[in-house]
Amino acid sequence: MPHCDEDELSVIALGEPARPEDEQHLQGCARCQSRLDQMTAVVASARSITDADRPVAPPLGTWDAIADELGLTLPADVTPISRGTRHSRGTRRGAATWLIAGAAAAVGIAIGAVVTAGITGGTGSADLVATAELDPIDDSGYVGTASVEQTDSGAVLRVTVPALPAVEDGYYEVWMASPDTTTMVAIGTLNPGQEATFPLPAGMAVTDFPVVDVSVEHFDGDAGHSAVSVVRGQLQA
Amino acid sequence: MSHTETAAPTTTGPLSMTRSWERQVREDGDEAIAAAFAAGDDQALAHAYQRWSALVYTTALRSTGNESDAADISQAVFVSAWRGRQGFDPTRGSLPAWLLGITRRRVADHWEERTRDSKRVAAVAASEPEEATAASAEGVVDRVLLADELERLGEPQRRIIELAFFQDLTHGQIASLLDLPLGTVKSHIRRSLDRLRTRLEVDGAAL
Repeated sequence: MPHCDEDELSVIALGEPARPEDEQHLQGCARCQSRLDQMTAVVASARSITDADRPVAPPLGTWDAIADELGLTLPADVTPISRGTRHSRGTRRGAATWLIAGAAAAVGIAIGAVVTAGITGGTGSADLVATAELDPIDDSGYVGTASVEQTDSGAVLRVTVPALPAVEDGYYEVWMASPDTTTMVAIGTLNPGQEATFPLPAGMAVTDFPVVDVSVEHFDGDAGHSAVSVVRGQLQA
Repeated sequence: MSHTETAAPTTTGPLSMTRSWERQVREDGDEAIAAAFAAGDDQALAHAYQRWSALVYTTALRSTGNESDAADISQAVFVSAWRGRQGFDPTRGSLPAWLLGITRRRVADHWEERTRDSKRVAAVAASEPEEATAASAEGVVDRVLLADELERLGEPQRRIIELAFFQDLTHGQIASLLDLPLGTVKSHIRRSLDRLRTRLEVDGAAL
């Protein structure tokens, strides 16, 4: 038999039973067995991580201490801006957070029901419907928050991403996307250093577009997403 | 304030595809930073700090259990990395791997000092749990790197991996939950495992 299919090996590495032909082949093939061992090691190591292993930024001031000690004076535009640190929020979430995030995304979240409740209970004040922590994309270094509120005049999205620098020849755009991010709605412009509030289109189901994304756009007349995002997060009711 | 496009949803390519493009840019950028760092460009140190200080700090924090010690270690790592940059050869390994190697040594020094101090005050018993923590420090780098890489996975890979790793769903269950073909789920799993393994190889295997 030819070597095992790599896709098959990867699900065996997750602990699923091997098909009889794969099992037989693995017994006599050092190459496939070693490939499987590599994958199994990655799975075991990854399953042992908890939320406390997620990288968090050093405290503010660490960079200044380094620059001081080395006698460096760097122009402000390269001085690192610390990510908003998760640990400073005082919570350490367990691995279970990932499960919940995954499950919520998989089965769809019940924001819609809360939106309805907000409308029927309209008291003149804004009702918080859903919130999202916006996490850095790759090493953008920025974090933010987003929330959907129900006001008398309809649902609004509030977005803050502190410490965003100005974009040269461009601007930040806020998007809401479907859970698989294949469909996106442009919501509006986010200026650095400001909290932005956007009215959401009436009739747009927040449950259909629970992903909030902030991208860097340029004045190029291209209305589509630039594919360069700085933060992204999923709204949770 | 609302953008004129809000009237109708606009469809663009899936971000999971654009993410790999971002990743490519990031990796090219990483190499440029490493080269500039080796050449003694002090702006490259600031960029290196921006990109990798969270890995260094979190490794130190997970290894020492103390935020202030972890901040001190992070400072010492970047200071000694900069002063010892002649010892970094970009053709032999990645800059984050080298930084994490220095972090491991600093963590080991930290525990050695602690042990010496506790012996000095004859509080040997107190150091025992600390040594147990230090012994497990080797696995910390891998876990921090994997946690970082998991966060970088685009969708639907990230969701698939979360369901497979942390909810122990079979690929068949994931396929029906996400309404994806079986083969697609399997190949996403395989590619994600490859990506995680590559990250460990590139950034984790420092001496």
